[in-house]
Parts: sequence; C-alpha cells; structure tokens
Amino acid sequence: MAISIAAAAIQPLSWDNITCSSTSSSKLSQLSCRQFPRHLGRIQIGSNGLSSRSRRRILPPVEAKKQTFSSFDELLATSDKPVLVDFYATWCGPCQFMAPVLNEVSAAMIDKIQVVKIDTEKYPSIADKYKIEALPTFIIFKDGEPYDRFEGALTANQLIERIESALKVKQ
Amino acid sequence: MRSLQDSTSYGGVGISSVAPPPRLRPRHSRVIVAEVEPSEKSVEIMRKFSEQYARKSGTYFCVDKGVTSVVIKGLADHKDSLGAPLCPCRHYDDKAAEAGQGFWNCPCVPMRERKECHCMLFLTPDNDFAGQEQTISLEDIRESTANM
Repeated sequence: MAISIAAAAIQPLSWDNITCSSTSSSKLSQLSCRQFPRHLGRIQIGSNGLSSRSRRRILPPVEAKKQTFSSFDELLATSDKPVLVDFYATWCGPCQFMAPVLNEVSAAMIDKIQVVKIDTEKYPSIADKYKIEALPTFIIFKDGEPYDRFEGALTANQLIERIESALKVKQ
Repeated sequence: MRSLQDSTSYGGVGISSVAPPPRLRPRHSRVIVAEVEPSEKSVEIMRKFSEQYARKSGTYFCVDKGVTSVVIKGLADHKDSLGAPLCPCRHYDDKAAEAGQGFWNCPCVPMRERKECHCMLFLTPDNDFAGQEQTISLEDIRESTANM
C-alpha cells in the first residue's frame, strides 16, 4: 500500500514527521506491505494534519513534497541522505522538549540529513527491532543501517554537533 | 482511545489528513495508544507526589515546566491505565508486566538509588536543566499541555 511522506522543503521551522506502521508479526525482516493486512501496513509521514495526533496540536504549516513509501525500511533504503530517527512517546517530557529542537535542526541541516519521528506506542515493533528502551532515543541511519545512537534530550547546538561528527566520519 | 491494532481510521492510500474520531477507552486489556487526557484526579495525585518527592530528594523541576507537566501527565496516564505510575519515558515490551514488577514505577529504582531521572522530572541542582522550584500548580500543568 502506498504511504504518503512529506519531506520538508526549504522552509523555516519545517520538519519531517513520520508515523510508521507496525507489521503484524514481530519479525521485521519481511516488510513487504502487500503481504500484510492493509490497516497494518501503512506509513504516513508529514505534518500538519498528516499525523493522527495533529488534531490535538497546532502544527506550523509546512510546504510538503509528497513521496510514497511502503515501509520504514523502504524509506531508509531509498533515502539519499542519512536519516535521523527520533523514537518518542506522547507523554515523555524530554521527547516533547525535543520537538522544536528537531524543527530547528531539520531546517538548518536540510541538505545533510532527513529527520523522522516514530511514535513508539503506535509502532512498537519498530521500537522493538531497534531495542529502544529509554526515550527519546535518536538513531542516525547511514545507508539504511544504524550508525550512531544516543539517548536523552539535548540542545539544538549539541544535536547539530553530534550529527555533524557522525556524518564527517563517512567522508 | 484507539487500539494499536486498529489504524483503519487512517483512511486509504494518499489520504493522510483524516483525523480519526475520538473513541471511548476500551475496557479490555489491549495496549492502548493515548489519545485522551489522563483523569484530573490522577494528575492531581501525581502532581502532589512530584512536589513531595522533589522536596524529599532535594531535587528540582526542569526550567521548562512543560517537561515537568508532560511527565506528570504521563505518570497519571499510566496510573489510570495500568494502576501504577510507570515511567512514561521508556519503551516496554509489556507495560502491565512492568507495572506489576515495579522497577520502573515512579519513583523508579535508578531515581531512588542514584537520583537519576531521565524523564527530567527530578533534577539534581548541578543539572544544566534544573530550575529553582520544587512546586508546580495544576494551572501550570494545564497551560503547558494545552496544545497536546
């Protein structure tokens, strides 16, 4: 099934928001969503009405470029940039603290990294796959594989520094 | 409340802006995604507990009261759904089992033993994010979480 993703265009305070679907089994090795029940195989990415939580929060309007993916794995595989994934939960204080920080960092590093967020309560199988425990946990994916991983809230500058040092090693 | 397994409310392909209608919390013990607020009673209980425990442990609330408020509501939400204030800043395989076991029930073992609170609810004075206060009002909590 198709999933819509809104990647942030050049826009201040824009950010990517992904809510990923869980598969019906705990094994995530098969992620072809065609094999799974429709209602379990959908990923939706974007902001401002695309998140199921958007009806309860006011999001800044984002100029979104829509793309279609069929799973979180596909997003990782097809991304031309490294991906910073934020694993969060609704009632986790530090996670909410990071929301504007991620906006800022995403806008500042738009050419270098793609930022996505995964609600671990909506998509526990993805959280299980990456052995997420403390929240927030951030994983920087390069070439589809976890490259760097850290937990806890940090300031925008600290986060930018962390991302840049992770990306630098690649070159 | 919407169960984890039920995402039919997302609609069809390409329709990504449909908001699911609010639902009543299911009575059976499926994993539930929080889409409603915790009860006022539980919020008040956890608010009082947080103030008392901060005083008792010599820790302080975050400079950003929004963080404190969200965590207090998270604790209240787990108290409502699980019967115990399970730490809201963790991902669990089985929440009910964890709540029964108790390690991560607030105040959790790391907090009790080492004053480590990764939720940023109870901060030691040397912490960069620690404020000066050990109190938070219900009004503070309401205001900080009004847009959630």
